[in-house]
Amino acid sequence: MISLNNIRKNFAAIQAVDGVDLEIFPGEVHALVGENGAGKSTLMRVLAGFYPDYEGSISIEGKPVKVASVRMAKRMGIALVHQELSLVPELTIAENIFLGDEPAATVPGFISRRKALEQADKLLQEIGVNLDPRKKISQLSVAYRQLVEIAKGLSVKPRVLILDEPTSSLTAPEIKDLFRVIRKLTAMNTAVIYISHKLDEVFEIADRITVMRDGKKIATEPKDKWDEKRLISAMVGREFSSLFPHSHACDGKELAMEVSGLSRPGAFQNVSFQLHRGEVLGIYGLMGAGRTELSEALFGLKPATSGEVKIFGKAVKIKSSWAAKSLGLALVPEDRRGRGLVLMHSIGNNLSLPTLKYFSALGFVKRAQEKTEILKVMKEFEIQAEPSAPVETLSGGNQQKVVIGKWLIRPPRILILDEPTRGIDVGAKAEVHAAIDRLAAKGMAIILISSELPEVLGMSDRVLVMREGELVCEYSRPEANPENLGAAAAGVCI
Amino acid sequence: MTEKKIQDWRKIIVALREYGIYFALAAVVIAFSILSPEFRTPENILLILLQVSVIGILAIGELFTILTAGIDLSVGSLLAIAGMFSALFAQQDSPQLSLALAFLLPVVIGVLGGLLNGSVIAGAGVNPLIVTLGTLTAFRGFVVWYRVNPIYNLAPGYRWIGQSSLGPLPLPVLVLIAVAALAGIALNYTRFGRYVYAVGGNEQAALAAGINVKLIKLAVYVVSGLCVGIGALVFTSRLGAAQAISGEGFNLQAIAAVVVGGASLFGGRGTVSKTLVGALIIGTLFNGLVMLNVSSPVQQMVIGGIIIGAVWLDGVLRKKM
Ligand SMILES: Nc1ncnc2c1ncn2[C@@H]1O[C@H](COP(=O)(O)OP(=O)(O)OP(=O)(O)O)[C@@H](O)[C@H]1O
Ligand SMILES: [Mg+2]
Repeated sequence: MISLNNIRKNFAAIQAVDGVDLEIFPGEVHALVGENGAGKSTLMRVLAGFYPDYEGSISIEGKPVKVASVRMAKRMGIALVHQELSLVPELTIAENIFLGDEPAATVPGFISRRKALEQADKLLQEIGVNLDPRKKISQLSVAYRQLVEIAKGLSVKPRVLILDEPTSSLTAPEIKDLFRVIRKLTAMNTAVIYISHKLDEVFEIADRITVMRDGKKIATEPKDKWDEKRLISAMVGREFSSLFPHSHACDGKELAMEVSGLSRPGAFQNVSFQLHRGEVLGIYGLMGAGRTELSEALFGLKPATSGEVKIFGKAVKIKSSWAAKSLGLALVPEDRRGRGLVLMHSIGNNLSLPTLKYFSALGFVKRAQEKTEILKVMKEFEIQAEPSAPVETLSGGNQQKVVIGKWLIRPPRILILDEPTRGIDVGAKAEVHAAIDRLAAKGMAIILISSELPEVLGMSDRVLVMREGELVCEYSRPEANPENLGAAAAGVCI
Repeated sequence: MTEKKIQDWRKIIVALREYGIYFALAAVVIAFSILSPEFRTPENILLILLQVSVIGILAIGELFTILTAGIDLSVGSLLAIAGMFSALFAQQDSPQLSLALAFLLPVVIGVLGGLLNGSVIAGAGVNPLIVTLGTLTAFRGFVVWYRVNPIYNLAPGYRWIGQSSLGPLPLPVLVLIAVAALAGIALNYTRFGRYVYAVGGNEQAALAAGINVKLIKLAVYVVSGLCVGIGALVFTSRLGAAQAISGEGFNLQAIAAVVVGGASLFGGRGTVSKTLVGALIIGTLFNGLVMLNVSSPVQQMVIGGIIIGAVWLDGVLRKKM
């Protein structure tokens, strides 16, 4: 058993974790939930040795310990799978999994690549992933990277495995595989700490649930004692409706975008669809279906090699992201750290980056106006921080709000959202959903790529399903339901 | 440690990181002033400023490329070409004497050289280190091939830029100040400046924000070339001569100034004022060590060590946050 007593950790003026007690029993799945910035990740990073300057005490099997480094935590059997991907892009999967812990060869001082490859392969098989461990991380999609992170966490045979939002970019089948692995681990008496904003998952896998708010623990209770409504109000501190807003009505009259026969070999083939003004078009699919690739082609990051695109009736060639932007397109990318943010720069500079043109004259930035606009978005999305703080000091969910918010200073005509609510809490999710609805009502055309069924179903006017690089089925809002979307993603249109 | 103490420490570290470089400059100046009476004369201080001016101008151009996570190794060689062509039209009793051309050509050549670097780097996507390593060699080869013999005897109207003063301040120092001011304005107050930082901070994110990353990359090498052109004019006119070997090693001094000034070679971080301080630190060290009669090889070892030490310290202070 591991117990944490009165743990505190601050960053300058921010008290991220404020006197938390927690007990973790062998073989249990302990879910940790709370709003963005509640201190979940920080608490777990304390346990995993990232912040040796924490206050309070930690004991393992009754013995007090001081977790002074990541290495030490690892030796004590504590493994953390990061929320934000932390793999080295230029190394292979196997090299990443065993980074710092390379299997020794028979000759002392050398490492065995063969053993590393074998063991990496075994770990990946275990979580149901078919990947060549010799592949470089930079060639993998976000979802695969997340799976490699999980394999890395398992590689140390932990006593406690901490999963910080492990499923934020996974789709249904991978989540099922992950749950299978978790159950296997707990059967062998490993404890699993599971952080997630997806409450349905929490209710499915957890034995006990702890709620945190503003750095403090609100309560720990067995799963059966909680229900969704009580859990949300414990997290948010008020009553809350988690219904999807759908007040806009799309008349389907004016075409915003018409795509025909769009292809990029190896990514997607022969994609054709129409998008109307004021419409939310959902795109559902499984991992590797090519949805992100399609979004990147539409926004000119990796242009398509053939096919036609018309924007408001005009045939266009989108060869670069700046061309796309000037046509009135915007993309909220899936990979928030890699593509969405300049991490070392301030929140304000990140927010104003894509729309600087609108508040500058003769090339000079009008700072006063910029500041007003920045504060406005920050208020709208409830990002509570100084605009001059580096964006990397925000919690994961608040970073995501910056990635979305930066396009809304001057709303585009066509907005492509790739997993826009990845890693954000129930409250913020509702805000994003409300924003989507509001923007659509104002006439914006929106493509919503999401792996979360309820989100796709709740928000979209129409749903397209993508599989292996092709659009396979289309459902109108009344037709779409979890069964036919699930079946379509797996290969049968019903 | 108590909460209060931790807070105090943090403040000190933040202050050190922000202002440490200014303290370092002050420390170097004070140390040499104590050790050497010749060092602390006003004439010598002006001499240091004069010596720093050319490297300072080059370093400011270099800063733009380094901010985008690039680098320009070719500045010294390009300076030699620009200086040579400038001098061709500035010779005292040459029939082709034309001060207008002598002033204009180095700037045009600098910009063209920058365009060449920038279009290969941005257009063809070749690594800047490789491209400018290539042009470093090629530019030098070109100028030596074109004219091995130095050009002396430059017209007084030309030497005026490098050799006259306004009040106590030598004109080159004023040129440096003007270049620095313009660069500071460009980086801090214009859209272009924001884009430069963003491209270096995270190129992928800059692309995803719909920024024309290629154009920005091209532009920073042009800015660097422009600074080389201005630097070449100042340098040639101060020396009153142009040589094919001019500017050798200037690239490394300029990069050192930028890096000692706390800019990150990975891009996205660095300022003009600190780059100037970086150039001043290096210039002061060279000058002070000469005043102390330290031999040239030892000077080089000392300065090399200090560059590494400065960057190491910066990294340590950054981690502490
Ligand atoms: N390195 C840091 N520097 C400064 N502040 C930080 C740092 N890391 C986290 N914080 C702050 O600490 C608080 C808690 O953040 P934490 O990441 O633990 O939240 P979280 O509960 O994991 O949120 P999310 O669900 O969004 O991931 C936030 O206010 C955050 O801004
Ligand atoms: Mg977190």
